[in-house]
Amino acid sequence: MAELSDKAREEFFSEAQEIIETLSRNLLSLDQSIKAGSTDPSLINEAFRAVHTLKGLAGLFGAVRLGALSHRLEDVLDDLRLGRIELAQDVLDVLFGAVEAYTRILQAEKADSDEDLDVEHLFGELDRIGASATQPESPVAGYELDPGLLAVLTEYEEHRLRANIDLQMQLYRLRVQFDLATIDKVLEDMKERAKRHGEIITYLPTGEATSADTIELDLLMASRDDLATLIGSLGADNVVVEEIPRRARRSAAASVSQGTMPPRSPTALGRPDSVAMAPSGERAGLEQTASLRSLTQTVRVDIRKLDHLMNIVGELAIVRSAFGRIAEKLRGEGQRKLAAELQRLHRNFDRRLGEMQDGILEVRMVPLGQVFDRLARVVRQISREVGKEIRLVITGAETEIDKLIVEELSDPLMHMIRNAIDHGIEVGQRRVEVGKPLAGTIALNAFQKGNHVMIEVEDDGRGIDLQGLTEKAITLGKLSRSEAQELSRDETLALIFLPGLSTRESADDVSGRGVGMDIVKTNISKLGGVIDVHSETGIGTKMTITLPITLAIVSALLVQAGKHTLAIPLSSVSEAIAFEEAAVRLVDGREVITLRGQTLPLCRLDRLMNLESASEVAPRRRFVVVAALGQRRLGLVVDFLYGQEDIVIKPLGKSLNAVRGFAGATELGDQRVGLVLDAAGLIEEVLAGVDAPRTLERASG
Amino acid sequence: MANLSQSTASRLARRVGDRGPVREFLMFSLTGELYGVELTRIKEILSPPPITTVPRAPREVIGICSVRGLLVTVMDLRRKLSLVERPLTRRARILLGEAESGEVIGLLVDEVRHVVRLASTEIEPAASALGGDVSEFVLGIGRPAGEFLILLDLLSIVSG
Repeated sequence: MAELSDKAREEFFSEAQEIIETLSRNLLSLDQSIKAGSTDPSLINEAFRAVHTLKGLAGLFGAVRLGALSHRLEDVLDDLRLGRIELAQDVLDVLFGAVEAYTRILQAEKADSDEDLDVEHLFGELDRIGASATQPESPVAGYELDPGLLAVLTEYEEHRLRANIDLQMQLYRLRVQFDLATIDKVLEDMKERAKRHGEIITYLPTGEATSADTIELDLLMASRDDLATLIGSLGADNVVVEEIPRRARRSAAASVSQGTMPPRSPTALGRPDSVAMAPSGERAGLEQTASLRSLTQTVRVDIRKLDHLMNIVGELAIVRSAFGRIAEKLRGEGQRKLAAELQRLHRNFDRRLGEMQDGILEVRMVPLGQVFDRLARVVRQISREVGKEIRLVITGAETEIDKLIVEELSDPLMHMIRNAIDHGIEVGQRRVEVGKPLAGTIALNAFQKGNHVMIEVEDDGRGIDLQGLTEKAITLGKLSRSEAQELSRDETLALIFLPGLSTRESADDVSGRGVGMDIVKTNISKLGGVIDVHSETGIGTKMTITLPITLAIVSALLVQAGKHTLAIPLSSVSEAIAFEEAAVRLVDGREVITLRGQTLPLCRLDRLMNLESASEVAPRRRFVVVAALGQRRLGLVVDFLYGQEDIVIKPLGKSLNAVRGFAGATELGDQRVGLVLDAAGLIEEVLAGVDAPRTLERASG
Repeated sequence: MANLSQSTASRLARRVGDRGPVREFLMFSLTGELYGVELTRIKEILSPPPITTVPRAPREVIGICSVRGLLVTVMDLRRKLSLVERPLTRRARILLGEAESGEVIGLLVDEVRHVVRLASTEIEPAASALGGDVSEFVLGIGRPAGEFLILLDLLSIVSG
C-alpha cells in the first residue's frame, strides 16, 4: 500500500474503521435479538453489505489480508441472510471473532507490518460454517429466478420481491425494447400501466439490443393477474411477457444456474457501446460503484485543522477587542453616533464569534456511543469467557465529548468493566442464593453536567471488600495498621487506586493483567478527569468518572502569584481558602498547614518559581489553592484569586520542553499570555522525596 | 513574501551578472553593531507585543507571546550571542523565524534597518574574516558599500 498518498490511506483506514464499527453494532443488535428469540433479517443484510463494501475497499487499496477475511465473511453472511445457515450463538462468536481480527489486520496494515496475525484459525471456522450451509428456505428460491438478478437487487427491491411472493403473487418477466430517445417516458408509462396489475420490482438491461438506438430491458414484475390478462394489457410489438415458473422443490438446487432469465451480467455490462448511454445501464453501473462510496454523509477532518480554526477564532477575538477600544475612543472624542454604530457592530461581531467558537467545538464532539459499542463487545466476550451471565444496560450513549478524550477512554473503561465482571459480579449460583437475579447487571451511564461529562460504571455485584482491601494495603506496606484505623470509609475505598492493589488474591486471566486501578486513575487524570468510587457491600459498586467536555477549552482558576497571572485547571483544584501565615508549621523542614484535621503541605509558588513579586510589601491577604491529584494534595500559596474562566490551553514551544511545572499557556485577552500550571507535575515535584533538597534555583540555565 | 524576495533576487542576479548570485539580507542593529539575516528566513517582523516571562526557562528566553493566536517563544538575540544588554527602545522589533522543528521563534533585536543585497563576492567567510574563535551562528561578513555586517544563520540560531 506504500504507493498510496497519505491522505488516501487515512481515508481508507477511517472508512474501514467506520464500516467495522457498523458491522460490530449490527452483530451486537443481532446478539440481542437472538436472546430475545427473534432475528431481524435486515440486520444480517446490513452486516453483509458492510462487509461487501469493505471487500471492495480492500481490493481498491490492495489490502490483501483485509480482502481475504472480507471475502470469507461475506460468503458466510450471504448464507446467513439467505437462510442457508442458521444464526446461532456459536456462529455469532465466530463473527465477533472476525470483527476482532479486522481490528488487528487494520492495525497491522496501518503500521505497514507483515506480522503473522494468526487468522488461520478464524478462516477455518468461517469455512466450517460456510460448509454447513443448507438449501435455502427462502421463498425467492422457489422461483426459477436468475441468481445474477438476485445478486443485484437493491435491498428495497429484494424486500418487495419477498413481500410479493409472500402475498402469493405470480412473477412475470417482461422483455421490452425501448427507444433510447424516449426510454424515460415510455418506462414511466409502462410502470403506471403495470400498477393496475401489480408492481414492477426491478428492471435490468439485457445487453441484447437490436440496434444502436434501442435498448432491451428485462422487467421483473409481480402480479395477481394471469399471463393472458397481462399480455392483453401490457403486450405490444416491443413487449414480450413471460411467466416465471415456480420451481419444483426438490430440483431447486440443481437448477440454480439454469433459470429462465438469460444471464444478465457480464454480457449486459460487457457491452458499453450499446448500453452506456442508456439511463438504465448507467443505473446498474451506479449501483455497483455506490457500494464503494461512504456509507454516511460525513466529512472526516484532522483534529489539527480544527485547532487551527480555533486559533483563528482567537485572532478574531483580538480584532474584536480592538473594535471595542476604537468605539470607546470615538465616544471619548465626542463622536457619539459613530461610536454607537461601532458598538453595535462590535456586539454583533462578539455574538457571531461566540457562535463560531461553539460551532467549532461542536465539530470536535463525538458521541460516547462509539466507545460504548466497543465495550459492549468486550462485555459479551468476557461474560462468555468467565461463564457469568451479564446484562449490559447503556444509557446516554448519545452524550458528546471531545474526540481526543473518547480515544483515550476506551482502555480505562474496558478495564473498569473487566473488574466489575470479574471481581464485582458474583457467580450465578451465589447470586441466586442471596436473592439476586441470575444475570448480573452492569450499567454504563453517561450524562452531561455543566461543562463536564459524567460516566458511571455500575454493577450489582458483591461490592468492594473493605476489610480485604485494607489488609492487602497493609501487607504491601502502603500504610500502617494504625493509619488504616484512622481512614474514613471513602479513604479506604480510595485504596484501590494504589499501585499493586487488587481485592482478589489470585491474578487471573481477565483482570489480573498487571493493569490496576492506579493506571486507570492516572489515565483519567491525564484527560483532566477524576474518578470516584462508591461501593455498598452486597449491593454493588459504582465508579464515576468526571471529565471535561473538551480538551480544547478547560475551566481554570486564574490566580496572581508575584507578577504572574497563572491559570490552574479546575479539574485539579479541590478548593481555595484564605491563607494565614500564623497557621504555618514546619514539619521535616517543610511548610504545612492543617486543613480540617489533615496536614496539607504548602508550596509558595513565588518562591518555587522564583517569581518577581509585584510590589515591595507582601499582600495583606493571600490564598491557598488546594490542588489534588488522587490521594495527594498540595496547597499552592498565591497572592490573589481572580476567579474561574474557560481557557484554551496551548502547549509551550519545543524550545521550552525542559521547563517543568507548566501545562502550557493561554491567552488572557488584551494580548497578554498567561501560563497554565501543571498541577500534577507540581505535586509530583514538591512532594517527591522528602529528603531531596528543595531547589529554589532555576531548573535550567 | 518568500516568493517575492526570491523573484527580486533573481532579477537582481541577472542585473549584476558577473558578480554571482545575489542574496537579500535584513540588516538590523544589536548593541551598536550591524547584523544581517537572510530575508527568506524571516517570516515576519513585529513590534514587541506584551511578553510573559517563563520562570525556569533558559536564560536566552525572554518569554512567550501570542502572535494572532500562535504561541511564540521569544529569545533575546543579545543573550544568545553573549552581548552586553542595553535597555530596549521603542524601535525594538521581533523577527519571527521558523526552527527546524517547525516551532516559530521570535528574536528580539534593537532596531531593524533595511534590506541589503549582497552578491556572493561581497560575502567573506567568517573564519577568514574573524579568525578561529567565531560563534557557530555566524555565516560570514558582508561588506556592502563600506559597511561591516555580521551575517547570522537564523535557522541555526532558532533551532539551537
